[in-house]
Amino acid sequence: MKRLSELLGIRPCTLIYLLLISFSLTTFLVAKMGFSGLGLSLMVLFLALIKGQLVGSYFMGLGRVRGIWRWPVFIWLFIPGILIGMAFYLSYP
Amino acid sequence: MTADRSVLQSNYPPGDLAIWIFILAELTVFAVFFAAYAFTRLQHVELFNEYQLTLDREAALINTLALITSSYFVVRAVSAIKVDDRRRCVHWLLAAISMGLLFLIVKTFEYVHHYSEGINLSSNTFYMFYLSLTFFHFMHVIMGMVILAAIAVMAARGKYSRQEHTGIESGASYWHMVDLVWLILFPLVYVMR
Repeated sequence: MKRLSELLGIRPCTLIYLLLISFSLTTFLVAKMGFSGLGLSLMVLFLALIKGQLVGSYFMGLGRVRGIWRWPVFIWLFIPGILIGMAFYLSYP
Repeated sequence: MTADRSVLQSNYPPGDLAIWIFILAELTVFAVFFAAYAFTRLQHVELFNEYQLTLDREAALINTLALITSSYFVVRAVSAIKVDDRRRCVHWLLAAISMGLLFLIVKTFEYVHHYSEGINLSSNTFYMFYLSLTFFHFMHVIMGMVILAAIAVMAARGKYSRQEHTGIESGASYWHMVDLVWLILFPLVYVMR
């Protein structure tokens, strides 16, 4: 991520910010265009989990912490992510 | 980024450890709420899909962009104090607070709209979850703004520096948590169907 931001000539946090905005706009467009279905719901959920991990690692600074404190946001995203994904999967006959 | 070289060599996250215990407790509560929403929806799929369409997705997008932008501004504020630029740190914090205010205004308009249509917690299961989840988060945004305002005042008074900025990092971590929760809440309640 650092190399990419250097290549683009922007700060790493600005690159993360632009990614977060892009993923949010993608999520909105999926909703706006009336798309639905299990695949799209899971894709939107996956995008949200990626966004959450970006915030945790880069904005909260956990990506540079060693040991157990590196993982709480990942675990927080992983467990509800699995549960939500499972519930939506089960809601489709 | 909120992390610097000192964090690289640390086993602890930026800010006070106590705020992280608090953040984890808050995240756990929201995780239970999210799972409860998803599994309750399983019993009322048609109802949830029908009433989800009554929500204002444009407003939700504006709020998402406002919170992400606000979080970015907080990251810049932390970076500024790490180079002893207190003036710029305060400016970034004020910009972050203004984005939080935008979130509150947009959300309040949404609530007023729902209220004018006679929608409340007992209207149906979907609205019960929607109103309680978003209002619980709304209260956290207010709390986060109070924290950001407090650290902005302290920063303006010269209480933080390159050497000592734990308070700003603690406030920043809380604010990122508020953003983090919304990043899941937005697709879950407004988009996934």
